[in-house]
Amino acid sequence: MSKRAMFLRMVTASLLRRRSRMLIALLSIGIGATILCGLLTIYYDVPRQMGAQFRSYGANVILLADGAPSLTHSAVQEAMRAFPEEKIVGATPYRYVRMDMVSRQQSFTTAGTDFTQVQKTSPYFSVEGSYPENLREVLVGKEIAELIGVRLNSVMELTYKPAEGAGTQDQANAWGPGASLAGSAEGWGSGLVNVSAVLDGEGRIASVTVDAATQTPEIGGQCEEEAFTSQFIGQSLPIADVDAVSGATLTSHAVLSALNTSVRSDAASNQAKTSSFRVVGILTTGGEEEGYLFISEADMAAMTGDAETLDVVEMSVSASAEELDGFVDAVGQQEGVRARLVKRVTRSEAAVLTKLQALVFLVTVVVLLLTMICVSTTMMAVVTERRQEIGLRKALGASDGSIRAEFLGEGMFLGLLGGVLGGLFGFGFAQLVSVNVFGSSITFQPLLLPIAVILSMAVSALSCLWPIKRAVQIDPAIVLKGE
Amino acid sequence: MSLLEIKNVSKIYGDLKALDNVNITVEKGDWVAIMGPSGSGKSTMMNIIGCMDKPTSGEVLLDGVDISKQSNKYLTEVRRDKIGLIFQQFHMVNYLTAVENIMVSQYYHSLPDEEEALEALGRVGLRERARHLPSQLSGGEQQRVCVARALINHPEIILADEPTGNLDEANENIVLDLFAQLHREGTTLIVVTHDPEVADVAQRTIVLEHGRVAREVHNASWGK
Repeated sequence: MSKRAMFLRMVTASLLRRRSRMLIALLSIGIGATILCGLLTIYYDVPRQMGAQFRSYGANVILLADGAPSLTHSAVQEAMRAFPEEKIVGATPYRYVRMDMVSRQQSFTTAGTDFTQVQKTSPYFSVEGSYPENLREVLVGKEIAELIGVRLNSVMELTYKPAEGAGTQDQANAWGPGASLAGSAEGWGSGLVNVSAVLDGEGRIASVTVDAATQTPEIGGQCEEEAFTSQFIGQSLPIADVDAVSGATLTSHAVLSALNTSVRSDAASNQAKTSSFRVVGILTTGGEEEGYLFISEADMAAMTGDAETLDVVEMSVSASAEELDGFVDAVGQQEGVRARLVKRVTRSEAAVLTKLQALVFLVTVVVLLLTMICVSTTMMAVVTERRQEIGLRKALGASDGSIRAEFLGEGMFLGLLGGVLGGLFGFGFAQLVSVNVFGSSITFQPLLLPIAVILSMAVSALSCLWPIKRAVQIDPAIVLKGE
Repeated sequence: MSLLEIKNVSKIYGDLKALDNVNITVEKGDWVAIMGPSGSGKSTMMNIIGCMDKPTSGEVLLDGVDISKQSNKYLTEVRRDKIGLIFQQFHMVNYLTAVENIMVSQYYHSLPDEEEALEALGRVGLRERARHLPSQLSGGEQQRVCVARALINHPEIILADEPTGNLDEANENIVLDLFAQLHREGTTLIVVTHDPEVADVAQRTIVLEHGRVAREVHNASWGK
């Protein structure tokens, strides 16, 4: 039999046949390794775990219009591709308009939004009642509710009126495909010439009707005829020049001017729209949202006649600060939209994360020390208990090196066993902590098992050093006379 | 050259002279008993011969080498290579079987050899008890295992410290018979005892009193 085989036989016999004492040592190493492994798992999983937690504090990315007059759904969808789908916790579109409550002579900022997403990006919103689920339902900010005295199930009549002169301020939008336009300009003798036109699917003029009743019928009146109006068909606004009716230059130019300053005449554009909304929820946030009304996107589109325009999209993205920077840059490559980080949120996330990891690290170190003390004490007890045996071994001719090797061997073997146990139980421990503290399960890190084993072997070896020193000092003469 | 020569050896602990100018010579093949009452210096003598302690003054020549001047490491080697120890309390490693306990001695000496260890157990009549733990063996059986362990590396001296002190008469006789057998085979035996019966079976008895050799008795009845 080789010396190594005998060594292993002695070490394993010592562990297997002296179970009670070794179980205590194994227990201390095992528990230490369990907590260590658990903490390490948590340490590595904390960013992911906390990411989910942080997301309950609201949006960390905001999408805004950039270079375009407003944000559109299509631009937003394009921009969202910059974010990996699995990292998006929620994305809530908001369209803000003023709506009037005529009966109270009040007007309120009203947001059209997607309530499913609201609950994801603003989980801290506290709603008395419920979020709107059907059309014609409104969520009322607490401030407004108190101001006008509405309660759940009250009915609010809201009126949307497009802003005065919206057409001239937003010509490009007014002259969109399919729009019905109306305009007027002064012709001969300060008389108003009224023009109405309809645009085709590509935004070109499909038909034009001129009302020149204020003009001289035989002269300016000719501008009502098709011979004159047909020249505008197929043209895009604004039109540069006009082929004037001879003798009716002023009237002809009035038609051109009326066309070029025309605004939408269809209902969506310039007609007030009124609907009744049932109050289904009162919103408390502690923030400015309490001064808003919230209706569904569909209601907003119906009220404004515009389903495409958005003001802002609040996104909640579960990612590290560096990743977020990358996403924001990627969005920046696109036209018409830009992303902005909510620094207040992302910075405090990073700070909390660092502190939490430092805390876990510190606890790990303390546990490591405690484990070492525990194992060291147990091994010291083992050495004391085995004084006779150690003395005997020395009397039989064991060198100091042999004694060291045997105890270190036992310690390492215990470390190996404890490490394997710790690695397995540690995952369970981490899972327990994760479920109870963070409310989510943890991912198993296979690499942590060998790390736990090596660490626990190193810890037990280190813990054995002092006991071994004591063991080596034992005088072989103690075996004589049964002292 | 004598196997063991103890020349003018003194061992002093503070004011106490445990050994006072002792001279003993042991030839190869001798069977010597060292006797004396408690406090006579027997244990100190045993420690010095067993290379577990060094004298304050004097020379201890083992095979012509003065071991009193050597390092602890050298003494460890001497214990391992030249001396087989047998103790009053037996001292077996309690989690190892009988045969494994013998192999421990081989392990420190050279290479463990289970077959040879089993043979040694056979010599003390315990081959069938080889796989028993010390707790499953009687005191006499344990001491016989210890005799086998002391023999296994063919030491020049077997040094026994009250080998029968914890044994009943039947087992005492078995162990003494084993000693006699070993002596016939040429093994040098030094037995420290206070039991006259154990001393009587030796070739000669050295009586220590107050750290000095009081007398040396050649056993008249020896060999008869």
